[in-house]
Amino acid sequence: MPRTVEFTDTEFMIAQGARLIEDGKTIFVGWGIPQVVAMLAQKLYVPNVTQLFEFGAIGPQSVLPFVRGTMGGPQNTYRSLQWLNMNWAFSYSATGYMDYGMLGALQVDPYGNINSTHLGGTFAKPDRRFAGSGGGNQVASHCWKTIIVIKHEGRRFVPKVDFLTSPGYLDGPGAREKAGLPRGTGPHRVVTSKALFGFDEETRKMVLLSILRGLSVEEVVKDMAFRPLLAREIGEIPPPTDDELRVLREEIDPARFIIRGEKMSATT
Amino acid sequence: MRNGRIRVEGEVEYRFTHPDDFREHVRDRKGRSPVPKLVPAKEAVAAFVADGDYIVYDFSSLTRGPQSLIREVIRQRKKELWIGAEFTLHESPLLVGAGCATRIDVGFLGYGNYIGQAVCDGRVKAYEWTNGGLALRLLAGARGVPFLPTRDLLGSDNMDVSAAKTITDPYTGDPVCLVPALNPDVAFLHVHQADVFGNARIFGTNLFALEAALSSFRVIVSAEEIVESDEFRKDPMRTTVPYFLVDAVVHAPFGAYPGAMPARYEIDLEHVDRLNAIRTDEQMGKYLEENIYSVPDHEEFLDRRVGAKRMRELRRRATIVEGYR
Repeated sequence: MPRTVEFTDTEFMIAQGARLIEDGKTIFVGWGIPQVVAMLAQKLYVPNVTQLFEFGAIGPQSVLPFVRGTMGGPQNTYRSLQWLNMNWAFSYSATGYMDYGMLGALQVDPYGNINSTHLGGTFAKPDRRFAGSGGGNQVASHCWKTIIVIKHEGRRFVPKVDFLTSPGYLDGPGAREKAGLPRGTGPHRVVTSKALFGFDEETRKMVLLSILRGLSVEEVVKDMAFRPLLAREIGEIPPPTDDELRVLREEIDPARFIIRGEKMSATT
Repeated sequence: MRNGRIRVEGEVEYRFTHPDDFREHVRDRKGRSPVPKLVPAKEAVAAFVADGDYIVYDFSSLTRGPQSLIREVIRQRKKELWIGAEFTLHESPLLVGAGCATRIDVGFLGYGNYIGQAVCDGRVKAYEWTNGGLALRLLAGARGVPFLPTRDLLGSDNMDVSAAKTITDPYTGDPVCLVPALNPDVAFLHVHQADVFGNARIFGTNLFALEAALSSFRVIVSAEEIVESDEFRKDPMRTTVPYFLVDAVVHAPFGAYPGAMPARYEIDLEHVDRLNAIRTDEQMGKYLEENIYSVPDHEEFLDRRVGAKRMRELRRRATIVEGYR
């Protein structure tokens, strides 16, 4: 019997992100929401995924709940295969051992270029300033496939990012290789709180692949500041499952510090 | 002695030291003899940190960071510092808010609105090297070479607001990015164990502890615990930094507070929330007065501002010990 489930936009984003991670692969995990996505995936779907963090934790199995804001604490380095440091951590991505990278973003453009540095103004005199790259630039440069996790807010989807912190396909096909970035790498998916995007092989532009069950294409694209390409068939993404919500709410983030957000509902 | 130079290309300033200048500093100014270097934090910071210095630290304000040394720098009202902000969360807002730091190589700029606003207001200059770029600059400094190549930063706007360069790689003919060596004036490392000579051990991951210790003109180690030197010879795999890189050793139990020291004590999230909540200069001033200026040193800060009960509780919560010995 179909029934209605209620969840937050953040919970949906994390849950659909967790479903994308492949078991038996390696993933370089960025700070914040990507950590939570990886935790949920490891707990429910991919026991044999090897996570890697830039501070030198290779293959940790994070202790739940998530201690908000931390990266590199004893909880998220727990039961690693190896403990190293940053120069060695980026060696694993630079040599091609990282299948996936997963990053958050302030802004993203049609080519999957990421801004996490500033909004508005100029670099020297920004309107609003944020943390900057951290290790995001290395992750987006080196990993074979980069997954971007971002709230589905129109102002975050811009024709051109205010600052290009971490490279997507730059300005189109062949641009990464021309810039000297490793061959065959680039953004793979954009996971949002309403939809899932990929990238067109030919133009390297963002393509809407699927949307949360119950939403219309128009509802998804209407406030984006650029019009994404549309897949020939737009898929439907089921809402978070009971298991996903239980693990998120009871095990990962019982304080609801990360998973809170705009209320949504959909049928199972 | 400061051999590091500030070079300017276009609008972008960067710290650079010729590898031979650094080698001569090591030859002439770094002692090789194992002499006791245990000093109070006040003395270490007064002797080895000067106005205008470039500083780096390992790890972060939430985990094993040298927070008691950062507070001592603020207490001594150092000026015009340039910080290599890798895994920097609360260090940059505190150092900028206290008027100590005026330039930041990012890394990760730091947590919260305060530091973001300070950049917008032009109170501090930021340059973008990224975490990988800064770690590689220190590795170049540690390897005694003027630069190292890397296949990131390329194609990004960070190239325009750092002194990284793109050249044609003579081997592949492809574009490759070069970052200049970084030899900071001072590195702060907070470690689990050290002996009085400066041999030091970190349990767990680190950012660039050995690179920072090798590449920096001066190195201050603060340690949770002072141990016998023989401990290092019994288990040399666990030595993070050997004594002859280190200029001063400070005994600093709870030196990472309010952050966690893996397997020793947990993070004090309530205190961290107070740091996160700082938005205005008034709030910053109040925090600095209460936690730094009004207490003469780290011991009194722990006694009067944290308290034995709180510390006991944080120790009790540190239940993850596997891997940390």
